[in-house]
Amino acid sequence: MRFMVIVKGSKESEEGAPPDPQLMHDMGKFNEELIKAGVVLAMDGLHPSSKGARVKFSGKSRTVVDGPFTEAKELIAGFWLWQVKSLDEAIGWVKRSPFSSHAGDSEVEIRQVFEMEDFAPVLSEEQIEHKVSARAELVGQAKK
Amino acid sequence: MRFMVIVKATPESDKEAALPDPELLLEMGKYNEELGKAGILLAAEGLQPTSKGARVKFSGKSCTVTDGPFTEAKELIAGFSILQVKSLEEAIEWVKRAPNCCPGGEGEVEVRQVFEMEDFAPLLTEEQIQHKVRARAGLPNQTANK
Repeated sequence: MRFMVIVKGSKESEEGAPPDPQLMHDMGKFNEELIKAGVVLAMDGLHPSSKGARVKFSGKSRTVVDGPFTEAKELIAGFWLWQVKSLDEAIGWVKRSPFSSHAGDSEVEIRQVFEMEDFAPVLSEEQIEHKVSARAELVGQAKK
Repeated sequence: MRFMVIVKATPESDKEAALPDPELLLEMGKYNEELGKAGILLAAEGLQPTSKGARVKFSGKSCTVTDGPFTEAKELIAGFSILQVKSLEEAIEWVKRAPNCCPGGEGEVEVRQVFEMEDFAPLLTEEQIQHKVRARAGLPNQTANK
């Protein structure tokens, strides 16, 4: 099963200050462990929302609002994509992350990712296969 | 530059056992294919409702696990994609052309710049950066700045 493991934003991540070097070091070690275990499919950090924007959709209209955005709890600071056997396994790994040994509060949200086959109730076999091959091509392209 | 395009959830998208509307799925599929052909789309994923998820809160040395579902729709995301473009403005232009995920109502998408390992140059040595770049290159679904 695939899960998106979302690190929520915080005052610190939004300030854009350099990350605590010890946390960076510990996170690097944690990531190495995750990678060795074959868990990590992808991972990335995000710049503060001051470098971002929001686009609101209402019918056919689009409104753009520049960052920064103030509600850190609504923001994402980074994420992993993991391949694990269950939500419980994902939770187990998150509990072992360096956040547990560092001062301050952090929040991580774990969400299951849709596979194309999950859409079987609403799409035909053919439509699903089309999506699966479009995805495969995307992964191939992205890695070039 | 890489940007993450984050699709915010709605009460409808987060209903337990909710599946996206098939027409929307197909429209999004067409839009994603257009982006893919233009070499702009690097990744795209949809997230299942929060009833299948959990949160882990860390406070000092303690951590608390809370099972979904979660109710504050404004804090939730329904999916994301990663785009390779020249600027935030270009990312915004592509996003404005996306199908409205909530045809009957209001939808919101957030566009955020993704850190490249080179951005850590003030903090890490060239060698450390290259180590990180190599570690990522081996990941099955990792996207990278072209």
